[in-house]
Amino acid sequence: MDTLLAFGQRSGIYDFMHSAWGWPTVESLHFTGLCLLIGTVGVFDLRMLGLARGIPMHALHKLVPWGVGGYLLNVTTGVMFVVSAPDQYLFNPAFQVKLSLMAIAGLNVLFFYRFVFGPVRAAGANAVPASARTAAAVSLTCWVGVIVCGRLITYYRPPYHWCFWC
Amino acid sequence: MFRWYCVATLGALAMLLDYLVWLEETPFSTWMRESGPAFFSSLVFHSVAMGFVVGVHVATNLRILGVAPRVPLTLMRRFFSVLWVSLVVVSVSGVLLLAAYPAKGLTNPVFYFKLVAVLAALGITRALLRGCLRDPRYDDAPAPKKARWLAAASLLLWAAAVTAGRFLAYTHNMMMASHQY
Repeated sequence: MDTLLAFGQRSGIYDFMHSAWGWPTVESLHFTGLCLLIGTVGVFDLRMLGLARGIPMHALHKLVPWGVGGYLLNVTTGVMFVVSAPDQYLFNPAFQVKLSLMAIAGLNVLFFYRFVFGPVRAAGANAVPASARTAAAVSLTCWVGVIVCGRLITYYRPPYHWCFWC
Repeated sequence: MFRWYCVATLGALAMLLDYLVWLEETPFSTWMRESGPAFFSSLVFHSVAMGFVVGVHVATNLRILGVAPRVPLTLMRRFFSVLWVSLVVVSVSGVLLLAAYPAKGLTNPVFYFKLVAVLAALGITRALLRGCLRDPRYDDAPAPKKARWLAAASLLLWAAAVTAGRFLAYTHNMMMASHQY
C-alpha cells in the first residue's frame, strides 16, 4: 500500500487527482472507456447470445480493438484512482469483488480465444456453438458486475463498512 | 427599470426556491433520500443502463464511420431493442435520482447541459434511423458523408453527456433548497 501511495506521489498522479477537477475528469474518462467496452465486447457478446442474427461474427469482431482501447484507458485511469487513495480501495469489499470479476473475465477471454473463437468465426452469420453462448454470458455478467461494483465502491469505503470477510 | 428587473428576478428565484422546498418535502422525495437502497439502486441502474445506451451508440456510430465495414448497416438496428430498454431504465432512474435531490440538479447548469447533450444525441439517432440505418444501399457501401459527420457528433455528444453526468456530483450549488433558508 505504501509502495502504491509512494508511486502516486512521486509520479505526480496524486497531486493531479486531488486538484480541483482531477478526480471527476478521470472518472469521466473511466466511464467513457466503460462505454467503449460495452459498445464493442458487450455488443459482440449480445450477438453470440442470439441477438441481431444475420450479422456475421467475424465482421462484428472488427469493433473489438476499440473495446481493448477502452479497457486500457480504464486500467490506466483505474490505477490513477488506486494510487491516489490506496486504503480506500484495497480494503473495500466492492473493489475486491470488482477485481475478482475482472480476473474471471480475463480467464474467460483466454478460454474464448483458445477454444471458441475458431468455431465462431466459421459459423459466420449462422447460429453459434453452445460454448460461445456460455463464454458470452460469462463475459456480459462479469462486465455488468464490474460496473455495479465500481458504482458501489463509494458505499463500502473503509472504515465505515462491514462485510463478512473483512 | 433596473430596480424592477432586480425585484422581479429575486421574486422569481424565491418562488423557484419555495417550489423546490415543496418538492423535496414530498413523501416520495423524502423516501428516495432516506431509504438507502432506493437511492443507491437507482444509481446502479442509471450507470449500467447508461453503459448500454452509450454502448449501442458506440457500436452503431463506429460502424457508420467505417469500422467493421462488412457488418450490414441496416442490421445494426437489431441491437436497438437493448438501446430502447436501457433508455427507459436510464430515464426512470434519472427521474428518481432527481426526485431525491431536486434542488441539487435543477439549480445546476451542468444538469441542463447533460439533458441538452442527450436530447441532441437522440435527435441524431432519429435522423440516422430515418436515413442510412434503414437504407439497404449502405449495407455494403460506405455511409454517406453527412451520416459520418452525424455519427462523429453523436459520439462527442455522448462523451459530453457522460462527462457532465460525472461532474454533476462535484459542481452542485446546493444539496437541498431548504438549507438555503
